[in-house]
Amino acid sequence: MIGKNSEQMRETRLVFYRDDVDRINDVLEEFLKLSGAKANILIDKEGHAVTQAGLTSSLNVDTLSALVAASFAATREMARLLGEEEFTILSHQGKNDHIQLTLIADRCILCTMFDDSTTVGMVRLYAAEASKKLHRIFDTIARRTEAPAGESIAADFGDQAESALDDVFGA
Amino acid sequence: MVQINFARKEVNCKIVYYGCGLSGKTTNLEVVHEKAPSDRKGELTSIATEGDRTLFFDFMPLDLGKVGGMSTKFQLYTVPGQVYYNATRKLVLQGADGVVFVADSQRSKLEENIESLKNLEENLRENGLDIRKIPLVIQYNKRDLPDAMPVEELDEKLNWYGCPTFEAVAIRGEGVFPTLKKLSAMVLAKLNKEYGVGSRKPARTESRAQAAKASSGEISTSDRPAPTRKPAAKLQRQSALETATATAAPPATERRKGAAQTERPARSEPARPPRRSPPPPRERDPLRTAARRRTPPPPPARSPETRRSGSGNAVFYAIYALLALVVIGVVYLLVSGKLNEWIANL
Repeated sequence: MIGKNSEQMRETRLVFYRDDVDRINDVLEEFLKLSGAKANILIDKEGHAVTQAGLTSSLNVDTLSALVAASFAATREMARLLGEEEFTILSHQGKNDHIQLTLIADRCILCTMFDDSTTVGMVRLYAAEASKKLHRIFDTIARRTEAPAGESIAADFGDQAESALDDVFGA
Repeated sequence: MVQINFARKEVNCKIVYYGCGLSGKTTNLEVVHEKAPSDRKGELTSIATEGDRTLFFDFMPLDLGKVGGMSTKFQLYTVPGQVYYNATRKLVLQGADGVVFVADSQRSKLEENIESLKNLEENLRENGLDIRKIPLVIQYNKRDLPDAMPVEELDEKLNWYGCPTFEAVAIRGEGVFPTLKKLSAMVLAKLNKEYGVGSRKPARTESRAQAAKASSGEISTSDRPAPTRKPAAKLQRQSALETATATAAPPATERRKGAAQTERPARSEPARPPRRSPPPPRERDPLRTAARRRTPPPPPARSPETRRSGSGNAVFYAIYALLALVVIGVVYLLVSGKLNEWIANL
């Protein structure tokens, strides 16, 4: 069931509504509390951050997201060359800070930053639990057929886009 | 793949600069980084070799600001141009919402440009994207070099899809912003078409719908001519030239500097000298420009099956029926043994 929906999710783009992100945030906060990790960023496979939790204010989230996605994509190619479908967990160990990347629902990557106040085992254990919960949320998102009321692109998006482009690139 | 995030009130789009080695992709990004307003740009990150050749990609986020209440961001990437790095090129292209193809105008680089464009099409396909549907802009870079080919010739050799083209000297910052602005407008028009309600605004229904269609790159065989459909492309060009005859030409230097948009439809007949006619006037509305400048779409390419229609179909079925009758007759004769009899009589 999950696999089938994941396939569908891969094929379609994800639109994240407030309610979905609130539920995702709850899972990420709980994960941080249980594992003792410092911060979480959920990133889609294209390298755009979806949401974040914990101590992320000092991080350059945009650049980190792009690099994480690229790193994961490169690793997937390595896996393929080895005959594996995908490596679902990646770890980067530093002197003080470490990163664990967990593939979620074959569509997003959960980037968890932690230090020596916790252990890799704890992070991995609770990441697996969080992953299952996020999986279920993503399945719900993938099945959604209608946008919640009040959450759509504004009617004057096109007009505003023109003037925004003029502002940045010159008229 | 555009990410729309209503919780963060963000729209994120991925734009990729593609092209052969040393065509100026990283230079484009450096110029954008240097000239974009400081409050709109993020850090420029390069994963490059010691020799400053791109190893994986260059990346910079560009914030367009609030558009329709959503913070609209472009993530700009370049790919490594060297042939050797095709695997990484393919990875960077994953989920792209728009592509700037940076072509090196030098004659000696023509083959590399063609190879790179073919490679782009193939890599897009392997990522589940269609080059005819994705917003695509071609930039003819290095226009200042003595070996630079005429734009008309480059159009014929490279602009197989009839997409907007721009002249540039990226190292001097010329033509960089117009290129990116056009592609950004195309990406946002596509987004607006797919998710927005702007196209339903009664006062502007027609122009916006057309702009979205043309700009979006969702044109397939109807708006962008297929590579092999040169006659259609030729007609397009002629039509554009005829339209342009009545308008006044901007100074040549303006075009050169990329100050004026030099978007043009695909051309296919370089041997025929271009008519001395001025280009169409510059249009200020980037989201509607493409619709106006694009000439009437060529008829969609049809497969042999779909081409059989009307009277063609009737003839086709009649031949089939005749053949069936002959086969039935022969079988009947064989079964009844009359064929042997008839052959013996002969």
